[in-house]
Amino acid sequence: MTTVLVEKKVLNENAKIAAELRERFEDAHVVVVNLISAPGSGKTRLLERTLELLPKGTRAAVLTGDIQTEKDAERLARFGYPVRQITTGGTCHLDASMIRRHLEGWNLADLDFLFIENVGNLVCPSSYDLGEEAKIVLLSVTEGEEKPLKYPSIFFKSKLILITKTDLLPYVPFDLAKAKENARTINATADIVEVSCQTDAGLTRWLDWLQQRRASRLVSDAVV
Amino acid sequence: MSVLDAVRTEVGMRPGYRATAVGLRIGALSGVDTESLRFGFDCLVKDSEFDPLRLDVDAARGEELDIAWIEMEDGQ
Repeated sequence: MTTVLVEKKVLNENAKIAAELRERFEDAHVVVVNLISAPGSGKTRLLERTLELLPKGTRAAVLTGDIQTEKDAERLARFGYPVRQITTGGTCHLDASMIRRHLEGWNLADLDFLFIENVGNLVCPSSYDLGEEAKIVLLSVTEGEEKPLKYPSIFFKSKLILITKTDLLPYVPFDLAKAKENARTINATADIVEVSCQTDAGLTRWLDWLQQRRASRLVSDAVV
Repeated sequence: MSVLDAVRTEVGMRPGYRATAVGLRIGALSGVDTESLRFGFDCLVKDSEFDPLRLDVDAARGEELDIAWIEMEDGQ
């Protein structure tokens, strides 16, 4: 019997492609964010409001992932930015090869932002690096405040935690303070922003967060 | 599937050998549920070119999701 030490990541192939993508994104100075949440937490609605509120002249594009249909791409295409649907046909997450394939024909240097909307799922997307600058997790107030503790991987890996649908707080038993405490237990450094796409509360902070990432990217690229 | 692809690659480098066990290291923050992975692994291995193939899992504390080792025997 022979034991061969392998010591390789299970997702080695995905990691290689993600690293190539990350290098391409950095060379093109484009800020790429990966929006992850349970189904129905408001990813598409947030992107609708974001595309509508981006300053005139912002160069943005969207890759939106779903198991079936092009409904999200149809919703997002109304705002005049390039949008592509990635239909996985059953896979519960996006992976780096899907991103690479669906970027073909786009010139990344023409973009300030690339928004990736992942398949609605709090588990599997956490494991697949897409070459993004930041994973962003959405948690709606119609879910439970214990979600960060139940799904620690994605909350740990995210740079921004968006608490969505805050306009519904008066009508649901969601404990906002407890949710933030639970999020902080898992991730001490992520930014936490509360938003409502009904009242637009918090959206300015969200847009400022994006612009700060863009500014940081331009500064760091200039230094290099 | 990635695990079995790695087994196939490593065994392919050693003609005449077959894999008998594969060891994974799965971290608590990897986002992978060990029992679900085990279920899927067993389904894929059953009646395949790899059958029988034992899966051993070492629990880790971080984000590890690694193929640590593959045990093989000379099939000849």
